[in-house]
This record gives sequence, C-alpha cells and structure tokens, in this order.
Amino acid sequence: MIRVVLVDDHELFRAGVRGELGSRIEIVGEAGSVTEATPLIRELDPDVVLLDVHLPDGGGEAVIAAVAQERPGVKFLALSVSDAAEDVIGVIRAGARGYVTKTISSEELRDAVARVAEGDAVFSPRLAGFVLDAFRDGARVGDDAELENLTAREREVLQLIARGYKYKEIAARLHLSVKTVEAHVSSVLRKLQLSSRAELTRWAHERRLI
Amino acid sequence: MNQIPVLPFERSGHDRVVAGVCGGIASTLGVDATLVRLVFALLSIAGGAGILLYFALWAYDGGRRTWPAIVLIAAAAASLLVALGLSGAGVLGVGLLVAGLVVILVRGGSIRQEGSLPKLAIVLMVIGAVTLLDHVGASNSFIGPGAVVGTLLLVLGPWVWQLWRDHQERIRLQERADVAARIHDSVLQTLALVQRHADDAPRVSAIARRQERELRRWLYGSGVGDAVTLADALAEAATEVEELHGARVELASAGDLPLDESLEQLVLAAREAMTNAAKFSTADEISVYLEANGDQVAVFVRDRGIGFDRAGVPADRRGVAESIEGRMRRAGGSAAVVSSPGSGTEVELTLPRAAQ
Repeated sequence: MIRVVLVDDHELFRAGVRGELGSRIEIVGEAGSVTEATPLIRELDPDVVLLDVHLPDGGGEAVIAAVAQERPGVKFLALSVSDAAEDVIGVIRAGARGYVTKTISSEELRDAVARVAEGDAVFSPRLAGFVLDAFRDGARVGDDAELENLTAREREVLQLIARGYKYKEIAARLHLSVKTVEAHVSSVLRKLQLSSRAELTRWAHERRLI
Repeated sequence: MNQIPVLPFERSGHDRVVAGVCGGIASTLGVDATLVRLVFALLSIAGGAGILLYFALWAYDGGRRTWPAIVLIAAAAASLLVALGLSGAGVLGVGLLVAGLVVILVRGGSIRQEGSLPKLAIVLMVIGAVTLLDHVGASNSFIGPGAVVGTLLLVLGPWVWQLWRDHQERIRLQERADVAARIHDSVLQTLALVQRHADDAPRVSAIARRQERELRRWLYGSGVGDAVTLADALAEAATEVEELHGARVELASAGDLPLDESLEQLVLAAREAMTNAAKFSTADEISVYLEANGDQVAVFVRDRGIGFDRAGVPADRRGVAESIEGRMRRAGGSAAVVSSPGSGTEVELTLPRAAQ
C-alpha cells in the first residue's frame, strides 16, 4: 500500500483523484495550501505527495522546500494544468521526482505514483519536450560538463517520451530493459536538479509557448 | 464638506422693500423679516458690509448667479474685517487664504480621483499666509517660510499620496476589467456549451480541452489571434481535431519557429495525420511532438490504436498519399508512416531548414 498525501486547492480535483487511485494507493491526508500541507506532511510522513504546482499561498516549490530536508523519504510528484515551463522546471528543480498533467488518465496516474514511490522519475511528454529544449544547444564544456549535457541515449529516451511512448515501449524500441530506461530518466532528472546552467532558469522564464 | 450645499434661499416675491432679499431670508429661516432687516442695517454701518451682503444675496438668488455672489460676499467680509480694525494687508492675507480653501472645496477637497493639482489654491494660500504673517508683524523670520512649507505640505502631501493610490487603483481595475472580459468571452461561453451538451461526454470533454488550451495560451502564451509560430499553429490544429473528432491530443514540443509557408504545409500535414488517427485508429489519445532545431523540423504524430497495413490501403484512398506525403514532398520535406495492424501508428514528418 502506497501512502499518499494530496495537496491541491481544488476540492473537486481532490475528490476526482480520491475516486480513481484504486486499491494499491491510500490517501492518508489532504491539504489545500502550503500552510496546511507542511505540518501534515511532517506528521504523516507519506510515501508520495501529489503536489499541485500552484497553491493559493505559494507554489509546490514552497512545500518541497519546507519539508524535504526533514523528510528525505517523501517523494513528490507534481501535478498541474499549467504547463508554463517556468513553473514546471521550478518545481522539478526544487526536488519533485516527476511531473504529470492533470488530464492524465487514472491508470497512468496510478502508474506514475507507484513509479515515484519506488524512487523512479516520471516525465510527461510535455516535460520531456521542455527538458530537450532546455538542453538543446549542443555540448558545453565547464567544471561539470557531465551535469551540463545530456548523453545521446538520454536524448533518445526523452525524445521517445515526448513522442508519447511508455517506458515499456521505449525499452522494446531501443532494445533496453525497462530498468535501464528508468535509469536514464532518473539521470536526466538528476541533471535537471543539479545543473548549474544559468540558461535553465532563463530559458524557463523566456519560454512562454504551449 | 466636499461640496457647497445649495441654499434653498430665494428672494421673496411679495414681502419686499428693495428686492425681497430680507423677506426671502426671513421666510427661509422662519423669522420675522423686520429682524433680518435690522441685522442688515447694523451690518451696513460696519463699513458697508451689510449693503454688499445684500447685493450678494440678490445676485445669488437661489443659485442662479453664484460667482458674482461669492465675489460680493468676499467684499462684504473684507469690509467687515476692515471695520473691525484689521489693516488692508491683513484683510488681503485672510482673503487669499479663504479663497484658496474655497478653491479646494469647490474641487471637492483637492484630493479626489482624477484630481489635478490645485495650483491656484496653493498659490492663493501661500501668498495669503505670507501677507497675513508679514502684516501681523512676525519678527521671527522663520514663520514666513515655515508657513509656506507647511501650506505646501498640507495641500501637496495628501494630493501626491492620493494620486499614487489612484494610479495603482486604476491599473488594478483595468486588469480586472480585462480578465472579466476574457472570462466572459471564453470560460462562461464554454460553461454554457457544456451545460447544453451535458449528455454528450466526448463533445463536452473536447470543448473543455479547447477552453483549457485557449486559457493556457492566454495565461502563459503570446496572446490571442492567429498563430504566428509553429507551436501555436500546431496547438490550433490539435484543438480543431479534438473538436471535430473527439479524441484527446497531447502536445509536446522542444523549440519553435516563426511560421512561414513551408511550415504551414507541415502543420497541415500534421493536422491530416491527427485527423486520420482520430477518425480511424480508435485510440482515444494522440501524442504529437514537435522538435525544431537549427537544421531540421520534425513532427511526430502517434496513436496506440488499431494500426493499419499500408499495402492494404486502396490506391484511391488519397488521404495519406496526397495530404501527407505529397504535401511534405512539395514543401521540400518528407513523411514516413510506421504502422502495423494492432500496434498503432506513428507518422513522422520532417522538413530540413536552410541554414540561415
């Protein structure tokens, strides 16, 4: 059983999620704001927090910043209808293990929660597109070139995610195991979070399309 | 305080000695007319103030000629002050101060919305204060300048503050009006449509998704109107397909370009691929990915539907051959269709970009 705290200010959306998470996932707490969510997560210490990118008194980023240090075991999965790159990249860089849009199907949401609970990363096609765009301009040298660039394989995996392929389909297509695909995605996530690329932030601000 | 109350005074038509002014006052105040006449007579001894006041009220006459009346009242007040022993300069000082206050009051307190700077009032009050203090014989040389500064602060301070607040307020109201108009044109219309088609689930979800896209583009995108970039144009095409055929289109992109003629052809080909997927594949979701980099633009349209055998498509079904492959060829690009029965379809459209 995966214990989940749901943080979203839309009661209607929370009710919807409650109804579709199925038997493997239990919602142990719900909050509608940063102020409510922070003590709740500290107290309940859930496996996964489903986190709205936008909250009335701050963003998902604020929740992660407030509890991540004390509760390193808690995984965050960002959920949003807003797909402004700035918000998405912001919450990922704050420490979320993935990002999915609220239009995701119930089955995919269950799958994403399970994946994040196991420590994997979950990228929606849109996020994959954002990341490819942000890391687009070729190789760069620097103190930490490994962090600043995506490998050819990582690019390939991300591109297939953007094209709508599931991990299993990507594995079959690239003749890899699903575990390897997951490892590539996790590696991209790590780069996204640790990269010092100044461009990443600037890019996210400038990127106003879609 | 903000407006001068209009006195209900009118000259009396029947109880009159000269022009009916005293009779009018008497009937307005409900006192004996003789008493009023006595007061006026006494005031007339004091430097002729009563006579001037009489003419002022005659001129005023129920608010018909306000300005002459004010001038006359000012003159009456001045002669009264002179009669009370104040020198000419002192009277002038008091008069200017009062005039300044009147200007401010007439303008509704000087600090109302859209209030322009009551320059006249400031000038009048400053001169008045200086004149009066000078006359009263302030030996301390600080008082004059101090009075000037004090007056300026009193009048200008609230005015500047109010102006700033008004400015903020106006910006806020403007933004609210824009948002309200937008919500009305889009969200409210959509909600009405949703209510009307409540029993038609695919339709409702297509309408909702279209609205979501529009709203998102407005909130985070480049604005409204016809698409000017490739990604915007693809988003529009995706919305049209969703509306017409009820499938869900998930759009992702990396990179974007300003729309030109060959890119428009690319969008049309992609739209055709989406339409085919929505109509024939039976999949309820279509993934579209746009990748634009320096030397090539690629669009992938993918579904997980029933797929088809390319060889089995009759030659007279010209959709794929003409609308997708032919169109891409003419635009200088190419199209590849990967599909087999049971495993979905992916259409890959590529268009090389001349190095610029």
